[in-house]
Amino acid sequence: MARWGMVIDLARCIGCAGCQMACKAENGTPPGITWCRVEVKDIGNFPAVRRIPLPVQCMHCREPECEKVCPTGATEKTESGIVRVDSELCMGCRACVLACPYGARYFYEEKKGYYETLSLFEELAYKRHRVGTVTKCDFCQERVERGLDQGLKPGVDREATPACVFNCMTKGRFFGDLDDPRSTVSLLVASGRAFQLLPGHPSDPQVYYLTPGTTLSAGGREDGK
Amino acid sequence: MNQELHKKTEREDRWIPTICGECYNACSILVRVVNGVVRKIEGNPDSPIGMGRLCPKGTAGIMTMYDPNRVNAPLKRTNPEKGIGVDPRWQEITWEEALATVAEKLKKVRREDPKKLFMMGTTTTVSIQRGVSVSFATAFGTPNHSSSGGGLHCGNGAHFAAGLFHGSWSMVPDFEYCQYAIYFGSSKGHAAGHAANINAQMAADARARGMKLVVVDPLCSFAAAKSTEWVPIRPGTDGAMALAMINTLLNELGIYDAEYLQKHTNAPYLIGPDGYYVKDLDSGKPLVWDLGTGAPKCFDASDVMDYALEGVFEVQGTRCQPAFTLLREHVKSYTAEKAETISTVPAATIRRLAREFGEHSRIGSTIIMDGKKFPFRPVAAVVFRGAQGHKNSAHTCYSIELLNQIVGCSDVVGGSLGFNPVSFGHPDTGQPAFAPTPAPDGLLCPGTWLTPHRIYPPRDPAPPQTMGLKEIHPLGQSSPYVVSADQEELWTKFNLSYRPEVMLNYGANPVMTMGNPGTVIEALKKIPFIVSSNLFLNEFTDLADIVLPDTCYMERYDTLPNSPPILNHPAGMGEWGFAIGQPVVPRQYQRWDYGEFILEVADRIGITRELNAVLNMFYGLQPPYELPPDRKTTREELADLHLKFNFGAERGLQWFKEHGLIKWPKKPEEVYWRIHNKCRVPVYMEFMKRTGTKVKKILELFDVPLDLSHYEALPDWHPCPSHQVKDPQFDLYAFYYRDVLHTNSATMENAWLDEASEINPYSYNITIHPAVGKKKGIQNGDLIWVESVSGRKVRGKVNLSEGINPEGLAVAGCMGHWALGMPKAKGKGVLFNELLELDMNHADPANMNLDLCVKVKIYRDHQGRS
Repeated sequence: MARWGMVIDLARCIGCAGCQMACKAENGTPPGITWCRVEVKDIGNFPAVRRIPLPVQCMHCREPECEKVCPTGATEKTESGIVRVDSELCMGCRACVLACPYGARYFYEEKKGYYETLSLFEELAYKRHRVGTVTKCDFCQERVERGLDQGLKPGVDREATPACVFNCMTKGRFFGDLDDPRSTVSLLVASGRAFQLLPGHPSDPQVYYLTPGTTLSAGGREDGK
Repeated sequence: MNQELHKKTEREDRWIPTICGECYNACSILVRVVNGVVRKIEGNPDSPIGMGRLCPKGTAGIMTMYDPNRVNAPLKRTNPEKGIGVDPRWQEITWEEALATVAEKLKKVRREDPKKLFMMGTTTTVSIQRGVSVSFATAFGTPNHSSSGGGLHCGNGAHFAAGLFHGSWSMVPDFEYCQYAIYFGSSKGHAAGHAANINAQMAADARARGMKLVVVDPLCSFAAAKSTEWVPIRPGTDGAMALAMINTLLNELGIYDAEYLQKHTNAPYLIGPDGYYVKDLDSGKPLVWDLGTGAPKCFDASDVMDYALEGVFEVQGTRCQPAFTLLREHVKSYTAEKAETISTVPAATIRRLAREFGEHSRIGSTIIMDGKKFPFRPVAAVVFRGAQGHKNSAHTCYSIELLNQIVGCSDVVGGSLGFNPVSFGHPDTGQPAFAPTPAPDGLLCPGTWLTPHRIYPPRDPAPPQTMGLKEIHPLGQSSPYVVSADQEELWTKFNLSYRPEVMLNYGANPVMTMGNPGTVIEALKKIPFIVSSNLFLNEFTDLADIVLPDTCYMERYDTLPNSPPILNHPAGMGEWGFAIGQPVVPRQYQRWDYGEFILEVADRIGITRELNAVLNMFYGLQPPYELPPDRKTTREELADLHLKFNFGAERGLQWFKEHGLIKWPKKPEEVYWRIHNKCRVPVYMEFMKRTGTKVKKILELFDVPLDLSHYEALPDWHPCPSHQVKDPQFDLYAFYYRDVLHTNSATMENAWLDEASEINPYSYNITIHPAVGKKKGIQNGDLIWVESVSGRKVRGKVNLSEGINPEGLAVAGCMGHWALGMPKAKGKGVLFNELLELDMNHADPANMNLDLCVKVKIYRDHQGRS
C-alpha cells in the first residue's frame, strides 16, 4: 500500500492560484470553500525582500490533530495516508476545524452558490458535498483511485494525479508514494530543500515544501552582495 | 451490464478540444461536457499552446460561462440620458429590431462619411476583433478602429521595439538556453501577458536550471519575487539606467559584438553632419565604409571586406561617421552616476549589472543545434509594460533593446527572442509561412503583423483625418485621442471634417481601461449612437444605445487564434501549434457571436462584396479557398476555408473540430533566424529623425508645437510629467501593475478569481512601504485616499509591504468596477486609471503611449479602517 504525499516547490511557484482554481473545478467546491488556497507572504526588509507565494491545503498529517478530536470517527487516516472525512458520519461539530493547525478545513454551512441562484455548473458540481458537514482536500482520492484501477501511476499519469498537481503552470507540485524511496516525492523530500509547515509540530504533515531559494535579492545594494 | 452502469454510459460525458478566451493567449483547452453542461476545463496536453496546464483564469472560465448576470437578449435604452449611475432603463428587443436599427444607422453614416463610424474591440479575445471587426471597418471605409486599453494596457513602445528589432509583437528570453536575463518592468513568464501560461512553465524550468534573473521594477512584482535580484527602480527611469549600462559596456568595458553589429544592424551606416544617412547618389542606398578597400560602399554590397564601426570618413565631400561611433559618443553623457541620480539605482549596481550582462553574453561563442552552428549569446534584456508605460515610452524601449543589439543576443540561441517572426509553414503545405524582409534601406520589416501597417518603413505623416490622429503619430499603434480630454480641441485645430456618429464595440470596456473614466465618458457621450456586444452590462454599456448578448468563447467558432504566432504562441524551440475554437455546448437564450452579427450587418447594408474581399486579403485566402464574392459567409465557412488554405483540403473545419489543433516540430533555423536573414535592425534610428521632421512640418500648418526631442535618432532619457512635480506634498509615484489573476478589466466578474483575489493582498489593495505608513500614521488595512496633483482621487485599502520602493505606490490592473451588472466585480479593488490624465501632454509625442505614472499624496479616509 502506498503512502501518498505531496511536495510543493516554492522556487517554482509564482502564486498564480492555478492550483486553487484546478481544485475548485475538479472538486466543485461551493463558495468560501477553497480546499487549496494560495497565500502570499513577504519576508525580509526593503530592499532585501522576498515575496513568497504559499499554497495551503490539508497536509494529510501522519498524526492528524483533526482525527484525534473527531467524536464520530468521520475523520479517518486511511491506509494510503489520505486523511478523509466521511460525510455520512460527520455531524458538523467543527472541532476538527479548530484543531487543524493549517486552517485547511471548511464547514459547509448551507447550500448556496456564488450567485442568487445556482448556475447549471453549480447544480452539477455541488452534488458530492453534504450540507452541515466539514470538508477539505482529499488528495483527489476518487481520481487517484480511478487511475489506479486503470493501472495508471499517481504522480506520473495525469488521469491518476490530483488536479492541482498536473495543472500547475510552473510544474511546481509533485505527488507520489512517500514509502517508495525512488519516487520523485521521496527524492525531493530527501533533497535537503524540503521542509514542513510549523516545523517541530507533532502532526507530521505529508505535504512538504521546497525552499523558495536561499538567496534574498540584493535589491540593488552593493554592500549586500 | 447492470442498469446503473448502463445509465452511466448512456449519458453524455465527453471532452471537447477548443481554445480558452479568458485572455488573448487562446491556450488550447479540453472541456468536459456532461449532459450539455460544462463540468470542467483542463489544458490540452496534446498542444504546445499550454501543454496541458492552465492559468487560474483558464480553469475559472467556467464561472464566466455560467454567470447568471450575463446579457442574454438584445437590449435597447429607453432613457435618453447617459451618465454614471444613470439607469439606461433597458428594454429587451428582438434581434430583428436590433439588426434593423443598427443597419439603418450605418447606412446613413456610410452615405454621409464612412469615417463617422468608430469601431472598438477588446484585446481580451483579440482574434475575433482582428479578423472580422477590423475587416468590417476596412470594408465600410472607416479608418477609426481602435483597441480598448490602447492608451493604458497596450504596449505602443514595446510592440514598436519588438517589431523593429525582432519582427514580432513581443519578446522573451530564450528560456531553454538563456543564462542571464534582465527584465525592465516586465513579468514575462511570471504572471499575465503574452503566452503567459507556457512562459510560466519555461521560466520555472529556467529558474530550476539556474538562469539568473534580474528584475528592475519599483514593485517586488510577480517576476521580481522569483528573481535572483530585484532592483527597485524609481518609476519611469528605466531608460536612463539602460543607457548607463550601454555606456559602461561600450566605453568602460569595451564589450560589444562587432561582427553582429556589422552584419545585422545599421551600426556601420555612415551618418552625415545633419544626422541622416549618407546615401549612394545612384541607388539611394545608405553607405558604409569598407576598411578593406578604404572606400564607401552600399550597405548591401557583396564585396565589403570589413565594415567600419568607428572613425571619421569623407564621402561626397562631407565628413561622416559610422552610426556606431555616434552611439558610443552619445551615451558617454549617461554615466552610472547620472543614472543613479535619475533612477535611484546605485551607480555601482548599474556598472555591475552591465558587466554581468556583458560577461554572460559570451560574445564569439557558438553552439551546435540539429547539426548546424549558431551563435550562442545566453543573455536577454526584456522590456515590457511597466517600463514602457510612460511619456518616454519609445526611447525607453529603444534604449533597453539596444542592450540586446550591442551584445548580439537578438534571436540567436540563448538570447532575446521575438515570438516566432519566422515560419517555414507546415511540411505538407508550406503554410503559414513568413519572415522579415529588408526595406530598401536594409532595415527589418516584419513578415507578419497584427495591424495592417507593419511598423516599418514608417507611414508618411499627413494632416490627420482619423479620430486617433494616427497620421501624425506614424510610430504609434493604438491611440488615446479617441477618448482624450483634448480631443475636441485637437480635432478642431486639425479641421477634422467629421465627428463620430456611430460606435460599434466588441467586448471592450474603455470606460475602465483607457484613462480616467470621467474623461472617457465625456468623450463617449458625444457619440450619438453606440452599439456594444458584451457578456455583461458594465460601465461602458451604461453609455450604449443597444447592447447585444455576446457569446462566451465556449459557444462559438474561432479560426486559428494563435495565428500569426507573434503574439500568443510560445517562442523558442518545441512545436508549432495551431488550434481552433469551437462551441462545446449549444448557445443559450438569444446570445449571438459578434462575428456573425458583423457578417449579417454587412449584408444588410450591402457591403458583403467589399467585406469578403477584405476578409480574403486579411486571411491571405487564395483560390480555391477564397470566400465567394457576393454571398454572405458564416464563421464556419470562413474557418473551413482558412484551415484548408493553410493545411490542405483534408484538414478543414470538420478535421479540426475532431482534432482541435495541428502541430509539427519547429526548426532551429526558424527560431534562431537572425543569422540567416538579410534584415538589419536600427541601433541608430535615422527614420525617427526623418519622421519627426515631417511630423513637425505638418503640425506647423495647424499651429501645433512639437518637441522633437522624442524623435531623435539616438536614445535619450526624457523625464515624465511625474518627475517634474515639485510640490513636496505629492511625495509618492503611483503606478499600476498587472495582477496574475486577471486580464485587464475583463475577468473581474469571475467568482472564483474574485475569491482568490480576496486572499491575495496584491490584488485589491493599495501597496505602500511600511515606512511611508509610519510617517503618515497609516496602518495595514486602513482606507486611504490617493490624490493626484490635479485633484483626481481614488480610495482604497492599504497593504503595507517591504516589497516596494518607498517612493512608490502600486495598484493592480483595472479594478474598482461600479456597474450593477457585474456584482462580483462591483466595489472590488481600486481603479488606478481614475488618477490618469488623458491628453497630449501625457502621451509620448512619438508613439502616443499614455503615461501611467502619477505623483500623488495620500491621506486617511475619515472612515478610518475599512
